[in-house]
Amino acid sequence: MELRISLPLLASIGPLIFALWVTVGVAGAAASGRGRVSILGSGSSFIYPQMSAWIPEFTRMNPDVVVNYNPTGSGTGQKQFFAHLVDFAASDPPLTRDAWLRHRGRVIQMPVVLGAVVVTYNLPGGEGLRLDGRALALMYKGRLRYWDDPLMRELNPGVELPHREIVAVHRSDSSGTTNVFTFFLHKAAPDEWPTDLVGKSVEWPVDSKGNGVGAKGNQGVTQVIMSTPYSIGYVELSYALENGLPMAKIRNADGQFVLPSQESIREAARNSFPLMPRSPLDDYSLDLDALVYAPGGKSYPITSFVHLILWTRYEPGKAEALRRFIRFVNTEGQGMIVRGYAPIPEEIRAVNLKAAGLIKP
Amino acid sequence: MDARDLKEKIFLAGAALLSLLAVLPVFHVLLSVIWNGLGVLMEAGPSFLTGVPPPPNGGLGGIAPSLAGTLLLAVLSSLLGIPLSLFAAIFAVEFPDNPLAKGVRVLSKALLEIPSVVVGMLIYAVVVVPMGRFSMLAGSLALAIMMIPYVTTYVEQALEGVPFTYREAGFALGLSRPRVVFDILVGIARRGILTGILIGFAKVLGETAPLLFTLGRDRYNVPLGPLDYGDSISLLIFDYAQTPYANMHRVAWGAALVLTALFLIIFLVSRRLTEEVFL
Repeated sequence: MELRISLPLLASIGPLIFALWVTVGVAGAAASGRGRVSILGSGSSFIYPQMSAWIPEFTRMNPDVVVNYNPTGSGTGQKQFFAHLVDFAASDPPLTRDAWLRHRGRVIQMPVVLGAVVVTYNLPGGEGLRLDGRALALMYKGRLRYWDDPLMRELNPGVELPHREIVAVHRSDSSGTTNVFTFFLHKAAPDEWPTDLVGKSVEWPVDSKGNGVGAKGNQGVTQVIMSTPYSIGYVELSYALENGLPMAKIRNADGQFVLPSQESIREAARNSFPLMPRSPLDDYSLDLDALVYAPGGKSYPITSFVHLILWTRYEPGKAEALRRFIRFVNTEGQGMIVRGYAPIPEEIRAVNLKAAGLIKP
Repeated sequence: MDARDLKEKIFLAGAALLSLLAVLPVFHVLLSVIWNGLGVLMEAGPSFLTGVPPPPNGGLGGIAPSLAGTLLLAVLSSLLGIPLSLFAAIFAVEFPDNPLAKGVRVLSKALLEIPSVVVGMLIYAVVVVPMGRFSMLAGSLALAIMMIPYVTTYVEQALEGVPFTYREAGFALGLSRPRVVFDILVGIARRGILTGILIGFAKVLGETAPLLFTLGRDRYNVPLGPLDYGDSISLLIFDYAQTPYANMHRVAWGAALVLTALFLIIFLVSRRLTEEVFL
């Protein structure tokens, strides 16, 4: 079979078709205005699985709306939100006070789901570990080096602790998980863990002692701990649950040792409520301070929020769609929380629902 | 057996062993994709190609919007990228002394090494931010830029490989310059040109980084218009592999197998085409 084609002609057709596609598509979109309202969010990768559970259910209930979410990271999400590329952002940390002041009255924030950072370990022959902020701070400073350290024995009566060196695993990449964990260390043991060791990526003192190991992502830390006997580390609750890792009981502000669970996480949020904002228009920048190491005997102390960030003004179709999405997230949505997250308590939902009345065309 | 035979045997065995070592990782990747992906495809059935992705711990669902997005993006970026590369390469080979042509040659080779995420950021700054939205248009432009240096370089090399005597013969027959170039040179170099085109096509099929900040990742609707958000299989794999949920990992493996199958199809088609098409 012989096929003869004029190459210049053939090659010119390509860009023509492309141009036609763009013109017809843009003109068509402008003319018809589209049947369905399309909403796009961007930000926290931590909340992505929960969003993947919410979005199909929400669009099933609201067939005239399309919602999508890009897990780009909390910081990127905020940038894209302020550049008006996306309609809402999801962010582990709330807006800083400065950012909130710049957009005061025009920007809405709300915590929509809770997560927890758990301390997991690989201790052959030992389980049911109990830890407090001081012991963890000393481990990550490299000053508590052995599993059978007197402090560890005092915390864990009855647990057989070997005379082995502790390998302290931490994140090597910048991470909200590290921020929450180091913030907890500072709040629970301020003498041992100063503020300059709090942040998304820190200079871990244990590394200079040779007993620290960095790993990328929650997945990386999980892998290192599973394959390294006598190691300890911190990951998001969902990674510990899905991989069947042991979780340590952590001493909370009331001196009780508490396992991470939906109940103990929600309890922490409930006990933080007196210090939480009362309107979605308020400054949320200190809410992690209220939530981490919250009072209450049943509160799990290393807990964090994920926030939605929205504008108060949208074009009419989007305003209505986002109002419905906010109502959904704070009502039905809280009944379909994925394993590894916890629903927010009723008190906070009631504050969040005020946002539906604040969004206007 | 004398010493020379022995030396040769040792050398051959060494060479074979080393080449095996070189291709081993490739086979390992290929086999683990097939091993992990096949079970997913068998369990999910044809709906893996027609359904939408599942929630965490919620079965397997499908990857239809991402699959459609990947194919559409590859076709759209080729419509733009391949003709541009063809003409750029022909220009660079036909007018080697022209300063612009020299620039084309240098640039196309330099751009081969450009990190793909930079192309993504460029389109983000130049197209996405001014338009105020992520879109299929932005994604296909990013991929077109990705493919141009590859295709241009391959086509240049294919054209340069044609012996000068064929050109002389063409002119001796009284053919005009365009006819010599398009009928004789391109015809003789067609295998190399097609290979370059298909490598460019395959290249954009698997790209992730240029799409991270251009596409909008709509995983539930098949994209059609230039302003629609879109998704690609590579982005889906990228996002799902990072979640802790086993079913999402399995969807990512299944998607990886689909992508691998697309590559295989392209290369089989390209083998057939180079044997049959006369340009």
